[in-house]
Amino acid sequence: MKILAFDTSNKPLSVAVFVDGKVLAHIESTEKKTHSVSLLPDIQNGLQEAGLTMADIDLIAVAKGPGSYTGVRIAVTVAKTLADTLNKKLVGVSSLKLLAANGDKKHLLVPLMDARNDNAFAGVYVTNRDGRLLTVIADHHTSMANLFETLKQYEPNELEFINATPRLQELIQKQFPEATIVMSEDSLPDAGKLAKIAETTRVVKDIDNFIPTYLRLTQAEHDWYAKGNKEDKNVSYVEEV
Amino acid sequence: MEKDTLIMSFESSCDETSVAIIKNGKEILSNIIATQIKSHQRFGGVVPEVASRHHVEEVTHCINLALDEAKVGYSDLDAVAVTYGPGLVGSLLIGIMAAKTVAFAHNLPLIKVNHLAGHIYSANFVTDLQYPFMSLLVSGGHTEIVLVTAPGVFHTLGDTRDDAVGEAYDKIGRILGINYPAGKKVDQMAAKGKDTFNFPRAMVQEDNLDFSFSGLKSAFINRVHHADQIHEQLNKDDLAASFQGAVLDILSNKTFRALKQHPVKQLIVGGGVSANQGLRKRLAEEIEKRHMDMELVFPPLRLCGDNAAMIGAMAQIQYDKGDFAKLDLNADPSLDFDME
Repeated sequence: MKILAFDTSNKPLSVAVFVDGKVLAHIESTEKKTHSVSLLPDIQNGLQEAGLTMADIDLIAVAKGPGSYTGVRIAVTVAKTLADTLNKKLVGVSSLKLLAANGDKKHLLVPLMDARNDNAFAGVYVTNRDGRLLTVIADHHTSMANLFETLKQYEPNELEFINATPRLQELIQKQFPEATIVMSEDSLPDAGKLAKIAETTRVVKDIDNFIPTYLRLTQAEHDWYAKGNKEDKNVSYVEEV
Repeated sequence: MEKDTLIMSFESSCDETSVAIIKNGKEILSNIIATQIKSHQRFGGVVPEVASRHHVEEVTHCINLALDEAKVGYSDLDAVAVTYGPGLVGSLLIGIMAAKTVAFAHNLPLIKVNHLAGHIYSANFVTDLQYPFMSLLVSGGHTEIVLVTAPGVFHTLGDTRDDAVGEAYDKIGRILGINYPAGKKVDQMAAKGKDTFNFPRAMVQEDNLDFSFSGLKSAFINRVHHADQIHEQLNKDDLAASFQGAVLDILSNKTFRALKQHPVKQLIVGGGVSANQGLRKRLAEEIEKRHMDMELVFPPLRLCGDNAAMIGAMAQIQYDKGDFAKLDLNADPSLDFDME
């Protein structure tokens, strides 16, 4: 199987071409480049490096979030449009699960995305005997305090926090001094691993309705619901005119 | 007979996701428009993050509908075009990424189109353009007078110094209890009312072609608040008529000032506010009063608001010139004609 995989859900960008279990091309950028500018040229270069064209690709794998809203939209838009326009298979993988793939297989893995104000997107994963990541606690948006409360049930020295910012590191160290903490710069998302996870992930059935996993309402919607408003199921918020 | 050119065009600069297939820049084979108005009405105006999310939900669906309705396939296409600015950056990016992806996947040339140029070239579906022509661009984001001297050659003669005209409609609409977008309702009320409040006509005495609407908006709001304080009942239709009367005086004053400086054979009006019946009537009357031999062109109502068809019309000109973009194209939220 030939897979084109990419992730732009945070500052790093990663593109890989993965053929029958091997990474034939891998393009990465860690510096703060503009994903909207780089992604398609990087995909083009990756395919060229692998000696393939889009026609050869069987499956598109994309990190679907959570992460930077704009970042995940860029990758998801390209992935769904590619899959739709060329009739390719599409797989979406959690951006946090992809980060967990960088962790120590013996650890209880807690991938994080800093969501500011001591909040984060987080999930809890373990690696099974076949090396596959299993979800222990589903990805969610949480305050760090609540996350720590949830994690108290586990052995602190088995915990491995992945993709911490300096602020999150500070909070984690205070709570779980024995835990392993991997900083963002040491835990770049790897599209090669994304392709590998995609091999065993269910294919997207309805490409049109494939959207990023934001895990958060927009502020405007949050405020609107907070005022007691309810979504009217009879109203289509977007309509063709 | 030369071969026909088919362009697939994308527009997503604000709250409409639109994909069109345009033949030779002149014929609309399809023009799918998914509007988010009902979503943003919950918040009283366009919320950028909500708009971006809706664009991702709609984009491939719109592509497929556009192809189906036009009864063409990717192999029939000659190019892919997309709005790259001005507009909301998060919204623009969805159309840009989708358009770049289609261009890349099918090895088609990519054309980056200025949204404002698109509005001007909506007229291409209505008439044969004769250069030079004058255009008045009026929408929720823009108020400009642009002289077009040759295909795709634009000179901005006047611009708004503060609010766009459509934005002013939405703001005073809120005071009148009308949800966004308020233009159509204010226009209807204005037709029933009388211009009795004498709101200011900003900058009409000044010898330039720029606009200002914030003073008018403030005068309107102050008048209503003052009435509220002293429990005075104001006639809402008269308020609407007085506001619209001032807007039309300003727009018409500056437009005919521009036309005096640059006599042309066509005046093209574009943008969401070009749907305004009061504006349509007023400009026609002014031309007649002045005995001008000039064609006045309004787009059909469906092409007044944002749509991809107009992007395809402009893109054809760039296609003919060989003006193509690369796959590293990015959004330019504050793009204007002088920057190109």
